[in-house]
Amino acid sequence: MLLSIQDLRVAFRMGKVDGVMQRFEAVKGVSFDVPENGTVALVGESGSGKSVTAMSVLNLLPDNAERSGKIVYQGKDLLHADLSELQALRGKDIACVFQDPMGSLNPVFTVGQQLCEPLIKHLGMKPREAWARAEALLAEVGIPEPKRRLKAYPHELSGGQQQRVMIAMALSCEPKLLIADEPTTALDVTIQRQILELIAKLKEQHRMSVLFISHDLGLVGEIADHVVVMRNGIVREQGPVARIFNAPQDAYTKALLACRPHLGENPARLMVIDEHMQGQTARTQAKPKDPNAPVLLEVKALAKSFWLHTGLFARREFKAVRGVNFQLRRGHTLGVVGESGSGKTTMGLTLLRLHEPTGGEVMFDGRNLLTLNDRERQHMRRRIQIVFQNPYASLNPRFTVGQTLIEPMEIHKIGASTAERKERARALLEKVGLDATAFGKYPHEFSGGQRQRIAIARCLTLEPEVLILDEAVSALDVSVQAQVLNLLKDLQDELGLSYVFISHDLAVVRFISDEVLVMKDGEVVEQATAEEILAAPKQEYTRRLLGAIPRGYVPAAA
Amino acid sequence: MTSAVLPSPPPQRAPVQRSEGVWHAAWKRLLKDRVGIASLAVVALFIVLIVLTALGLVAKSWQAEVGVPNARPGFMGAAPPEAAAVIETPKGPNVDLSDVDPLAPRYKEWAERAAKLKTEEAPRAQTLPLGGDRLGRDVLVKAMKGTQTSVFVGLMGAVFAAIIGTLLGALAGFFGGKVGDFLEWLYNVFTAIPDILLILAFAAVFGRGVGSVAIILSLVGWTGLYRQVRAEFLKHSVREYVRAAEAIGASSMSRMFKHILPNVSHVIFVRMSLLVVGFIKYEVILSYLGLGVGVDDVSWGTMLAEAQSELILGYWWQLAAATAFMAVFITAFSLMTDALRDALDPKLRGLE
Amino acid sequence: MLPYLIRRLWQMVPTLVGAVLLVFVLFHFFGSDPAEILGGLNATPQQIDAIREQLGLNRPWYVQLGIYLKQVATLDWGSSWTTHEAVSHIFATRLPATLTVMLPILIFDTLLALPIAMWVAYRRGSLSDRAIMVVSTLALSISFLVYIIVGQYLFGFQLGWFPVQGWSDSVLTNLLTYVPLPLMLALMVGLAPQTRLYRTFFLDELGHDYVRTARAKGLTEGSVLFKHVLRNAMIPILTNIGLALPGIFVGSFLIEVFFSIPGLGREVILAVNRSDYPVIQATTVYLAMLTMIINLIVDLLYKLVDPRVVLK
Repeated sequence: MLLSIQDLRVAFRMGKVDGVMQRFEAVKGVSFDVPENGTVALVGESGSGKSVTAMSVLNLLPDNAERSGKIVYQGKDLLHADLSELQALRGKDIACVFQDPMGSLNPVFTVGQQLCEPLIKHLGMKPREAWARAEALLAEVGIPEPKRRLKAYPHELSGGQQQRVMIAMALSCEPKLLIADEPTTALDVTIQRQILELIAKLKEQHRMSVLFISHDLGLVGEIADHVVVMRNGIVREQGPVARIFNAPQDAYTKALLACRPHLGENPARLMVIDEHMQGQTARTQAKPKDPNAPVLLEVKALAKSFWLHTGLFARREFKAVRGVNFQLRRGHTLGVVGESGSGKTTMGLTLLRLHEPTGGEVMFDGRNLLTLNDRERQHMRRRIQIVFQNPYASLNPRFTVGQTLIEPMEIHKIGASTAERKERARALLEKVGLDATAFGKYPHEFSGGQRQRIAIARCLTLEPEVLILDEAVSALDVSVQAQVLNLLKDLQDELGLSYVFISHDLAVVRFISDEVLVMKDGEVVEQATAEEILAAPKQEYTRRLLGAIPRGYVPAAA
Repeated sequence: MTSAVLPSPPPQRAPVQRSEGVWHAAWKRLLKDRVGIASLAVVALFIVLIVLTALGLVAKSWQAEVGVPNARPGFMGAAPPEAAAVIETPKGPNVDLSDVDPLAPRYKEWAERAAKLKTEEAPRAQTLPLGGDRLGRDVLVKAMKGTQTSVFVGLMGAVFAAIIGTLLGALAGFFGGKVGDFLEWLYNVFTAIPDILLILAFAAVFGRGVGSVAIILSLVGWTGLYRQVRAEFLKHSVREYVRAAEAIGASSMSRMFKHILPNVSHVIFVRMSLLVVGFIKYEVILSYLGLGVGVDDVSWGTMLAEAQSELILGYWWQLAAATAFMAVFITAFSLMTDALRDALDPKLRGLE
Repeated sequence: MLPYLIRRLWQMVPTLVGAVLLVFVLFHFFGSDPAEILGGLNATPQQIDAIREQLGLNRPWYVQLGIYLKQVATLDWGSSWTTHEAVSHIFATRLPATLTVMLPILIFDTLLALPIAMWVAYRRGSLSDRAIMVVSTLALSISFLVYIIVGQYLFGFQLGWFPVQGWSDSVLTNLLTYVPLPLMLALMVGLAPQTRLYRTFFLDELGHDYVRTARAKGLTEGSVLFKHVLRNAMIPILTNIGLALPGIFVGSFLIEVFFSIPGLGREVILAVNRSDYPVIQATTVYLAMLTMIINLIVDLLYKLVDPRVVLK
């Protein structure tokens, strides 16, 4: 065994209340081993304690953390090692790669300078030697023109390249263990695939062990030998990957496996973890959609450009959206898929005129939205609404939920009196699955999923016909995602809403959409029904997108 | 477009409880901070003092010369009688000049007239609680009245500066474009001219006096707050909750002052508290230079101005009193501001 | 780079115009009448009028404004109305004095505040950290005036370590004899707020992710603080110094008045009290230009310190 974690407990001091120190227990007794030359994955949703567990190994936790238990590495208990011993191990025997590469690299030093640091410190190299070795490392992680890149600063590289640099830094002293904390979560799907393959290749070449932390079971299934499932600070289940996927024992693990939207099957409603754990089964009967429903929204040649200043008086045009066409029928859902920079979010905001478009037309109910005057535009706001991505930023932190819900009604003069508006607000809260007592609470008292429901309720106060969902579930955990997606489907069935669902996650889009638009660099690359896109993608890019999606554990062909 | 949300007769609903907001929660945190509470108590005491002096209940007669010039503080005891004349005073009756003195016939008449008048001459005290200044005025009373003047100037100036800075910063940060450019130009003009020059120039316009000093300081001091408010508004204008407000149809004014301002108010508050301290210190310097409050007013600055010449002669009590009052107030106020900032912070981290 | 410079210089013009106009309006329309001041207490109205005529104050305001603008453009200010010294000469002789006092103060302030702030940030939360914070809060609450008064009394008058006031013609004598006392007093006042500010900068940087990466690479705490954090903290520190620099030219006025140092700040106060327009106007323009040029230099320095900066 390379690393053995035994009964690890981590608590954070939260300050004194009435003279008594308050503690928050993030990890409550976790034990598992990391073998030599093996990959162990720590899986869990947010708040499960997986990152805290991994960071405890090298004690990279904040000052107010208290650890207890044993962390045995090569016969030595790291928990009780002093700082200089730990510093000798860090970067040399055990190295780390973190989630956000842009923030994790020092912005004022060049890539080369940062790469050379561990080489000079741990291997005692001279600067010139270290520089040459750094160049070789960059080449190994697949960075083109490594000599030139050594002198570059982190912000000059793309997200994927930054992560490769982080990996190079971690590998520089040939560590025996690599701790990777959600290394691909912040990256696009196609880049994610590249980084995973890189890590796998390097692991083989250097005979390294990897401790991989992730929330994505699909990802974990593809790369891990051994899986440890955590929830709320304890280990629910652990074992070889094949067993975990084929024959899970724990109810939570089973629920986690069942609740992911699959590319293959398409249930009417996703399973939610709690429901699954209580033994309910998935609903497969979906209400059929009317293929001849009237066209509600028709977009022709929509374009949006931004102008950037270059030089003294010159401006450069950046075309974020170029020539997008589609039709949305009443009661249907149009899914828009693309990676970052594809222009999908800009397009969504332009539909609502939150960005002013540079060209094209959007016909809604016979009128061109882009040429409305102010009064008509205000009227239009009632009929098309939007739910944003970040649930932590889309609600005003200083408004109570009640104030948030009542404001749109007051602006558009819905409801005859304040009492009636309060009534509607409370009824809407219950409709989205929240308790009516939420009315007087502030957003920070709710979780991400609950906040998204409040945002949806806010849209519903205006009784809209079209809802634009801009990455509305991307920031949520799997289980919560399932709940919100189910809610959206329920609302669509009940109220006849039409959705434009924007996302980078093809599996989610597949679940909720009838028709799918694939965007890249501002253009529509492919457009087809959801089944067609999956079964028979026509374009190369679409195929690449599909291929990049982690599929979970696929047993090797016999 | 159907809606299933129609009120049938509303069922009995439990009364809605409102959760605590940011300020309420910050207040509760502050109560647990011992240093914060202590400094808050001290500041509150000062505020009470200021209100009392403003109403005239205390320190109204600070100009009365109740003590001997440069009376010593009570705990030091009276000054020893001065070693008197150097020259020997002549003894014996005065020389009789009545034959050459043109006024001689009228002396008797004047003496009779004078006897009819009475002057109240209260005996001058030998010592005063904190000593007396060179005119014999009570230093303790002056210090109290001076507190009112100085703190008043600081607070009023800070409030005015905050109003100007917030308004302009909001407009610049939210709208940008031509409005933003114009306000940037204004900001550049005001910051290009050195502060002291600007103060002196405005003093030429507004003259001396408590209100004038407050206005002058605010006209010079709004720039720092403007910068910060503008940056905050720039940051918040692109946040999603503001976009969401635009999406539901809220007007620009509504978005600026109903949505963004409450999220920025804590920053403004902390900055304003810093301005209070800065302005009080500036007022001291201005009054020293003769540009601050009028001749008929007393402030910590005027006391310090007098103290300089007194110190050479060995009279240190006015300096000590002014410095002590000022130090206690500013230290308490600064600690209170720090505590308030800490109390507001953790809550905000959860909100943002 | 060149287009950026040109644009910045071009943008200075409206600011300069605004500053000039502001000062002109305030002094011409609201200030005391310089003719009265020059005439003295016993001047007759005819004498005052004659002086006004001589100074050109009787001409319409737009003519006066025109003359002023011409002066700005040609940088020819004529002479002071009270001392008849050429304005350019005034500047040339007073500026060195100001710099001799203020530059050492600025340098020592930064050089001392940095290590103290770093040490305090390193041992944050400890007793010494909190003690220093309380002491600095206390030190900040006492007016600079008090420091000067007590300082002059104590060190100059009573102990006789330094002369209470004075100035000489030799830079060396000035630096060794006359500067130390004001330097010491200014440091006592200025160190506290600088230290607090720099401490905040360091603590902010310590919260960033790259610090965790540096630790994960096995670097010592010292290396993390003095190499990684310091380099990043230089950015806000540079901003801070940049903001303070224009202030030293005139902000020194208090020191100059108290210590009788013939510097620019004192000159400005004297000029304003006497409504000496040429000096006032010249000061405004020079200082405004100086402020803008310093801002430009600081912005250019940013490019050196922060590679992310893109000069547009």
